[in-house]
Amino acid sequence: MEVGHLSTGGEIGPLVDDAPRRPRARRGPLSGIRVADFCWMGVGSVATRMLADFGAEVIKIEHRARLDTPRRLPIYKDDPRSYGTEDPNPDPNKGGLFNNYCRNKLGVTINMRSPRGQELAEKLIAKSSVVTENFAAGVMERWGLTYERIQELSPEAIYAHMSGFGQTGPYSSYRSYGPIVQAVSGLTFISGLPDREPSGWGFSYMDNQAAYFNSAALLMAIMQRNVTGMGTEIDISAVEAGISLLGPDLLDVAVNTRPTRRAGFPRGNRLEYPRAAPHGVYPCAGEDRWVAIAVFDDADWVRLVEIMGGPAWAADPRFESQQDRFANQDALDAHLSEWTRSRGPHEVMHLLQRAGVCAGAVQDARDLNETDPQVAHYDLFFELDHPVIGPARFEGTPIRFSRIEQDNWRSAPLLGEDNSYVFTEVLGLSQDEVRELAAAGAI
Amino acid sequence: MSETVGRDAAPYTGLVVVELSDDPAGEQTGKHLAELGADVIKVEPPEGSRSRRTGPFAGDVAGDDTSLMFWTYNAGKRSVVLDGTASGRAALQALIARADVLLTTLRPSELTAAGLDFRQLLDAHPRLIVLSVTPFGLEGPWADYRTSDLVGLAAGGPLMSCGYDDHSIPPIRPGGNQGYQVAASFAHCGLLLALIERQQTGAGQLVDVSMHCSLAVSGELANPYWFYPRVLVQRQTSRHAQPDMTQPALFRCADDRWIYFALILAEQKPWEALVEWMDSAGLAVDLTDTEYSNLTHRQQNFHHVQDLIEVFFLLMDSATAYHEGQRRGLPIGPVQAPEDLFDDPHLAARKFFAPLPGDEGATVLVPTTPFRFSSFPVPPPRPAPRLGEDTAEILGGLSEELARGIPG
Repeated sequence: MEVGHLSTGGEIGPLVDDAPRRPRARRGPLSGIRVADFCWMGVGSVATRMLADFGAEVIKIEHRARLDTPRRLPIYKDDPRSYGTEDPNPDPNKGGLFNNYCRNKLGVTINMRSPRGQELAEKLIAKSSVVTENFAAGVMERWGLTYERIQELSPEAIYAHMSGFGQTGPYSSYRSYGPIVQAVSGLTFISGLPDREPSGWGFSYMDNQAAYFNSAALLMAIMQRNVTGMGTEIDISAVEAGISLLGPDLLDVAVNTRPTRRAGFPRGNRLEYPRAAPHGVYPCAGEDRWVAIAVFDDADWVRLVEIMGGPAWAADPRFESQQDRFANQDALDAHLSEWTRSRGPHEVMHLLQRAGVCAGAVQDARDLNETDPQVAHYDLFFELDHPVIGPARFEGTPIRFSRIEQDNWRSAPLLGEDNSYVFTEVLGLSQDEVRELAAAGAI
Repeated sequence: MSETVGRDAAPYTGLVVVELSDDPAGEQTGKHLAELGADVIKVEPPEGSRSRRTGPFAGDVAGDDTSLMFWTYNAGKRSVVLDGTASGRAALQALIARADVLLTTLRPSELTAAGLDFRQLLDAHPRLIVLSVTPFGLEGPWADYRTSDLVGLAAGGPLMSCGYDDHSIPPIRPGGNQGYQVAASFAHCGLLLALIERQQTGAGQLVDVSMHCSLAVSGELANPYWFYPRVLVQRQTSRHAQPDMTQPALFRCADDRWIYFALILAEQKPWEALVEWMDSAGLAVDLTDTEYSNLTHRQQNFHHVQDLIEVFFLLMDSATAYHEGQRRGLPIGPVQAPEDLFDDPHLAARKFFAPLPGDEGATVLVPTTPFRFSSFPVPPPRPAPRLGEDTAEILGGLSEELARGIPG
């Protein structure tokens, strides 16, 4: 993911005179840590989001002429559009995905193609103890930002690279998005019905997972630096993170030399290890509504049959033992589907769970947001106001700590919103110097 | 832990973790820690953890120590067998007393049955971090519900985005226990935040990680499309679920393998690179016409564009599509099978796979940690422990304390 041509256009960022939006001292275990954040797209932005949520001053560095993709993706209030139907000239402050990814961060604009922009970035790095980026390998180095240079500027710095393929190796400059990482790492191949194209992933799973790996890496490095006083350079390849997630199928290949390019693989919703049956996703009342059911042993089966009212078909000898049920899943699934089809997904879920049978409604975002009592109990989603978007919901952290609270101080920065604060109060420039940098196209 | 961390040490060197995990979420969390230096003591019942009885098995021979499921999620740990008797429970308490972290996957009802009270433990051991990774969290109306990878992905939302264009086919679970993996990732990060907080305050705490909530925030676009335009996304074959059905992104190549390529129409540079590439093969047809430099025109004629791209890729093999496409700056990736990875020159150059030491001398290549730091060398892969392999050593180390009567 390389940075393309940058214009020399240089208006100063929107000056929002809005006291609640002014950066303030942060709470949380990471307070006092400043991050010079060159990340963009999904992986990098989600990775540094966790730092921002828990107290770090994450300063997102953006390029006016090369908008961060989540600013451009068409997720707007009251204007449903799919990818491919983007507005060619969107308002960069309107993007909902950007708001979700970059809340609690500060935002500045720096033109890295300009020598004065690079000089400014170095000033910011010198005042930071963590530097993050997720370009393809080589982009930061072209700006002179090697680990050695970063250490000269900030001796204890942690320098984290979060690319698709890693910093070394013949494909290190390859471009990747989540779906590319999923394809290359094998995660797509192992997902789908047998003997046809993979169904793979319906989202950039590896944007999230590689981001979580990168968050953990940054936290590990911070924890270790607290003890040793030493920084580190981190090189995480999303493809390698993906391979590490393949699970037992990979060891089956490695240990038993059993290829996954074989008839009957992948297994769809069926579970071979352990031999669960019924195990699948069954139709429910309503349009495109489904329930997942997983029966692992005889005790589960007896309870399921009881809940269904002991239908005659369940006494069929084909369904007597777990082995029998596993062997006769087509027939079993057909019968079970007849039972689920007239019921709602949540009705089936609760009937089964209350009897100790593993089942879950296949929930969509409306279910999660509007009716899921578990999500509500944990206050998983929260709201913040945004000057352009207005009040909006955000995905919170799925962890409840007894001693730590997430510090939600502000929605995502407008483009260049914190130029004045960061360049004057953090870096010590005068307002005149900032105006001059703007006029020169450096910010 | 801080006393033993040296310059080249992996980050968790010196950290002692007691693991009571019965699903891949907890087991993978412990594996992350073991892989990077922690002493992870896996407490198992006499019959062994459930994952030991789950296939596939090495050599297809079922046994306590041959499960590849167990190997996958428990590499590098130590195994101690404790039963539910009074002495077993006392030994567990003694282990916890010496640990930095207690990692459990027990639901509230299971905790009660096991006689574990987190509040008591935290009062007795103020530096202890209790890392609880459960299906739905320790609280709330669903706290005692059961889960599995499929059920977790279903209730948490990701499953609804995965499947085929044909919606008479149900949503399809992606492979590899990813529901559990997402919970493990949040558990890993949550523990780190608690460890950093403990460095500052000296105090441990309870970290309650919900697999359900972890998945509910990991569906990428599904929530934002509900937060903002309030629309639901629809699953589509191997590509992003979107409010509307979009064009396929998997293309079949001449070698009968698939590549993934999503043309982002709004980006001018990739468009020009693609047309130039197609033109060089004499397959651009009318795409070189000037009106295609206009985004609106491309959007209006996307079906035609798609047809031409399908033909273009069908005439080359997947490796050519991958490398030549990438050379031209296009994000293209082959749908690799796990067995393809061992021959990947890029991964080989990065020494990503390394031999797993085994009893039989056979060389099996397994992934090394994806956490690459300049501050410590990549730890070599370690095997998973045999059932109870470390019981004598671990209990021996406790015997003196047990004799003194460690308070529970």
